[in-house]
Amino acid sequence: MARLSVKRLTKAFGGTSVLRGVDLDVVPGSLVAVLGASGSGKTTLLRLLSGFERADAGAIEIDGQGVCRAGVHVAPEKRRIGYVAQEGSLFPHLSVADNVAFGLPRSERRDRSKVAALLATVGLPAAYADRAPHQLSGGEQQRVALARALAPAPKLVLLDEPFSSLDAALRVETRQAVSAALLASGATALLVTHDQSEALAMGVEVAVLRQGVLAQIATPEILYRQPVDIAMARFVGEAVILQGIVKGGVAICALGRLSIALPAPDGPVSVMIRPEQIRFLARPSADTPWARVLAVTFYGRDASVLLELEARAERVMSLVPGYRAPKPGEEVWLSVEGAVMAYRQAEGETALANSDPREIAQFRQKSLSAAAFEIKEHLP
Amino acid sequence: MPFGQIGAWSRRDGAERLGVAAFVALGLFVGSAATSAGAVTLNLYSAQHEQTVDLLTKAFTKETGIDVKVHSGEAPELASELLKEGASSHADVFFTENSPELELLSEKGLLAKVAPATLANVPAADSGSNGDWVGVLARENVLVFNKAMIKEGELPSSLLDFGKPEWKGKLAIAPTDADFLPLVGAVAALKGRPAALDWLKGLRENAAIFDDDEGVVAAVDRGAAAVGIINSYYWARLRVEKGADQMQSAIHHFAGADVGGLMNVSGAAALKASRNPAAAQKFLAFLVSKPAQEMLANLDITFEYPLAAGVIANPVLKPMSELSPPPLTLKQIGDDSDAAKLLREAGLI
Amino acid sequence: MAAIASASQAGIEAVGVRAVVARPPAVLIAAALLGVTLVLLPILYTVAEAANVDFGSAASLLFRPLVGRLLLNTISLVIAASLVTAVIGTAAAWLVERTDLPGRDLWSVLIAAPLAIPPFITSYAWVSMSNALQDFAGALLVVTCAYYPLVYLPVAAALRGLDPALEETARSLGESAWGSFMRVVLPQLRPALLGGVLLVALDTLTEFGAFALLRFRTFTTELYAQYRTGLAGPETSLLALVLVALCLVLLFAEFRVRGDARYARVGPGARRSSAPATLGWVRFPVLVVLCALGVATVGVPIGMIGYWLFQHAQAATSAVAPSLPVLFGAALNSVGYGLFGAAAALALAVPLGYLAVRFPSRWTVLMERSAYLAQGVPGIVVALALISLTVQWIGPLYQSPALMVLAYAILFLPLALVSVRATLSQIPRGLEEVGRSLGQNGYSVAWRVVAPLAANGLGAGASLVFIFVSTELTATLLLSPIGTRTLATEVWANTSSVAFAAAAPFAALMLCLSFAVTWLFANRLSRTAFAGRR
Repeated sequence: MARLSVKRLTKAFGGTSVLRGVDLDVVPGSLVAVLGASGSGKTTLLRLLSGFERADAGAIEIDGQGVCRAGVHVAPEKRRIGYVAQEGSLFPHLSVADNVAFGLPRSERRDRSKVAALLATVGLPAAYADRAPHQLSGGEQQRVALARALAPAPKLVLLDEPFSSLDAALRVETRQAVSAALLASGATALLVTHDQSEALAMGVEVAVLRQGVLAQIATPEILYRQPVDIAMARFVGEAVILQGIVKGGVAICALGRLSIALPAPDGPVSVMIRPEQIRFLARPSADTPWARVLAVTFYGRDASVLLELEARAERVMSLVPGYRAPKPGEEVWLSVEGAVMAYRQAEGETALANSDPREIAQFRQKSLSAAAFEIKEHLP
Repeated sequence: MPFGQIGAWSRRDGAERLGVAAFVALGLFVGSAATSAGAVTLNLYSAQHEQTVDLLTKAFTKETGIDVKVHSGEAPELASELLKEGASSHADVFFTENSPELELLSEKGLLAKVAPATLANVPAADSGSNGDWVGVLARENVLVFNKAMIKEGELPSSLLDFGKPEWKGKLAIAPTDADFLPLVGAVAALKGRPAALDWLKGLRENAAIFDDDEGVVAAVDRGAAAVGIINSYYWARLRVEKGADQMQSAIHHFAGADVGGLMNVSGAAALKASRNPAAAQKFLAFLVSKPAQEMLANLDITFEYPLAAGVIANPVLKPMSELSPPPLTLKQIGDDSDAAKLLREAGLI
Repeated sequence: MAAIASASQAGIEAVGVRAVVARPPAVLIAAALLGVTLVLLPILYTVAEAANVDFGSAASLLFRPLVGRLLLNTISLVIAASLVTAVIGTAAAWLVERTDLPGRDLWSVLIAAPLAIPPFITSYAWVSMSNALQDFAGALLVVTCAYYPLVYLPVAAALRGLDPALEETARSLGESAWGSFMRVVLPQLRPALLGGVLLVALDTLTEFGAFALLRFRTFTTELYAQYRTGLAGPETSLLALVLVALCLVLLFAEFRVRGDARYARVGPGARRSSAPATLGWVRFPVLVVLCALGVATVGVPIGMIGYWLFQHAQAATSAVAPSLPVLFGAALNSVGYGLFGAAAALALAVPLGYLAVRFPSRWTVLMERSAYLAQGVPGIVVALALISLTVQWIGPLYQSPALMVLAYAILFLPLALVSVRATLSQIPRGLEEVGRSLGQNGYSVAWRVVAPLAANGLGAGASLVFIFVSTELTATLLLSPIGTRTLATEVWANTSSVAFAAAAPFAALMLCLSFAVTWLFANRLSRTAFAGRR
């Protein structure tokens, strides 16, 4: 259980800048997911934290102790940081029990009960202790890797895309086991991934790494509902962007008058709506916008519907439960549920870039009510 | 995942095998090194044939209990080693096939005086004039010729005739064999250096080159060359190896004190730098003692002429009294250094 | 082509070219530099000695007819040997890997077997069989018999890794079987083939014992002749330098051709193997030819040794027929020096290999490549340099067992290095990092993680070096401590005095040792064996 504090961490490789001043604070005992595209520097961040690379500038403090500072670089083996790699990296020449006990002091390595307890934490039966790593499935190997990392009671656990090498079926189950284990052990953890749904599902907070800095750090809900800019919106999920204006605290666009999640001054804006917010109405009223269904892709659980708005020949995507999928060519009436985000157009797509991500994240959380809004007046 | 199988459970196998093997051999190796320490050992630098030396050292050890360690090589190579090693050399005794190297070391003052009793066993002319090395065996330079390819009457009366163009393609020599160098030295001593160089250049044109006299005698016997210049005992040894009735070749001795009939002396000396001077002198004495010389004469291995007085040579050899070597003292034959240079100048090395 | 490229790519990726290189620990660099220094020592000494010869005499020494003759002998033999082994090796590889030849498993072992037989033993066997075998023909025969596995092994490995889809595509586009072989398969085999041929050339240049027994004069035999006549000095060094220069040219060529592919494991293998070509009735003549090949390369050496073993020797050799103590002593020395030599070579190679694999940078790669220079220096040059250096400067080391072991370590460092490199690059770097994150420092990780995983591979490398050390002749002849005899020197001493029967027991023991060690580490060796021999 330790607090992690990262200040202005900078790293460049051969002239190419990878991290440009990363700031991060992780509350003890929580799991923060770091989300970033491939090549965004997530792995570099982890390697800096664990001490396998030296930072060019910045400071890292674990539990109040500075492990990385100007002139100070604590060796990896002294940092007491657990590391779970993408591919588990179990030692092939040792059994599962020997793997798990590897980091323990010599006197404790023979303690079978400790190994059994750790295996139980990650949801594996004690009988696995004597197996060879190659006899386990990918997911089981990752769990053993986690048990191994947790064995020496580390201050911090780092997980580098631990589920990306697993096939979909194993992924969910392994994720749950890992979350439960981390929670039970009370360890502070940092999980790095490029999979948005994974980050949103696992993290108490999600930090998005973009262009060498953390562009937004927020709870999953805030990140998803109130992304800091349009690029972020698109990165974290599907986004429908419409042009509109804000007047008197309400956004007006082709889909009608919509309430906005964060206050914005009057003026032209880009409005960001999540596809699942666009619902079909059974009974329209006079001003309900309507659209023609162009194409439907059925995914089983849900279906994405490509719509052409009659008002403005704009196309939007809607996500509806599978059983409500319409047929192409149908005409449907639309309404938007929940608050939307409005981004000022004048400053392009990074309207809120100058603001501290923390501020925006801590701004009032709107509760998500399921009320439908009706259009009061058409757009001029 | 292929990697899993590589390291996984076979580490024990590989490491185990290595460990056991290493442990066992290490033990044996160290053990054998240890056992040989302790007894007095004599270090012998020997240019003589290994079988001859083996015989002698075994008999010596049996008689005196002194162990002999042998460092073999060609005489010139050993001589240059001894020169480089100087006073820190580990050698105790130097045993050669020919005299020049002993002369060289004597000149450089590296040899200790031989006990007079030892020197008394062999004729004075066959030992070093400074009394610092003793002659042990003698061998004669001869021609070996293939009986089917050439008749004895066609052979030249002088060694120097081989430089003439009519011998092209018929001759085999071994210029880098230590037995050849004294011959070159003798030719230079008798006829002068320019004549020797001409002769060698002629040889270069005429002769097939072999690494050593064994190669020459084998080549002549199988018919690859008609004539070869060798020391007599090589032919005798081949005769024993193959069987007398299988031999296609015969020996021709030079007559009339021609340089071709040169007698070479195989001698031994004790090094001044020796750590065991008493043992060294014992060995020298043993080499010229009657039992040792008789053993050398009677066993069909050496086929050289024993120099100790009163010991009769192997009956296969032509009696020494019937040979007519050129009138050269050992000192005149020289120390091979100029001979080597001549060979190089002539392009034979 | 894809498989080979992916093999080298896998090799590169395993090295971790992510431009992420920390500074290696100083101890490691020092240990690695030791190996490089030792390798460079004989070369630098030879150059320094040769520099003592002034230009005029140097010119006259080098432009002599004798040197011209040696050059002619050497180069023509190298070219002939390269061509012949290329053809035989490739044909054998194709027959074993790509056809339905009966008994393929047996053939693959038999064809690779000559690697365990030192060339001078092959030479001894042929020479003792018929004295008529001399000069160029004899030399070519012996060299081909001894070295063609150096071409066979890499070509066979490359054939195994080929993707059959390429040939099938060629056939579907109308190309005949022969045509598709020439236009699709052969180009993909080129690196392996060229690499093997260059190794044959290099080994032919540096071989001594076999040629000496055959009375075939090359640079190495000439150097030895000069040494025997006491002429070793600056002039000899000059001649040695010519030889070393030739070798280095070949070495650089080999690097350009094979480069990193020399360490790549043969990828994950082709997706599937191609259907073997049917031989039909051709298989009978082919089997006859292969049998003849087996007889010539393996049968003759073993057979002749067997023959001489049972010849109760003629008088010239019988009185001192090898007694059991001598035999045992020589065997013990061969084994002992083999073990120490292998250990020393490996000790020098491990830091170099580790640096090259874990901390790849321009400097570490340069250091590693420098170690390979030892492959271009013949044993005799190393021995002569070490003799001169120790007799003048380091007295206690002269004629000591330690110097022998040092010479072996220098000569066989490249061989050990290839094994080390290949083994270490198969261990993912991630494992070491995980170990460190679990609180183990560098040494602990090396002992608990790297060593167990590398043990098998390093063991195979060590056994390969062992075989070559225990059968080494030239340096042993020159450097062995007083009274030390090894199996190799005993064979030599007896054979050069035409005492074939006396040589036989030593030769037999040598072969037994060689084959036993090969068998112990058989499958591992086939992967590392083609890395080259002295």
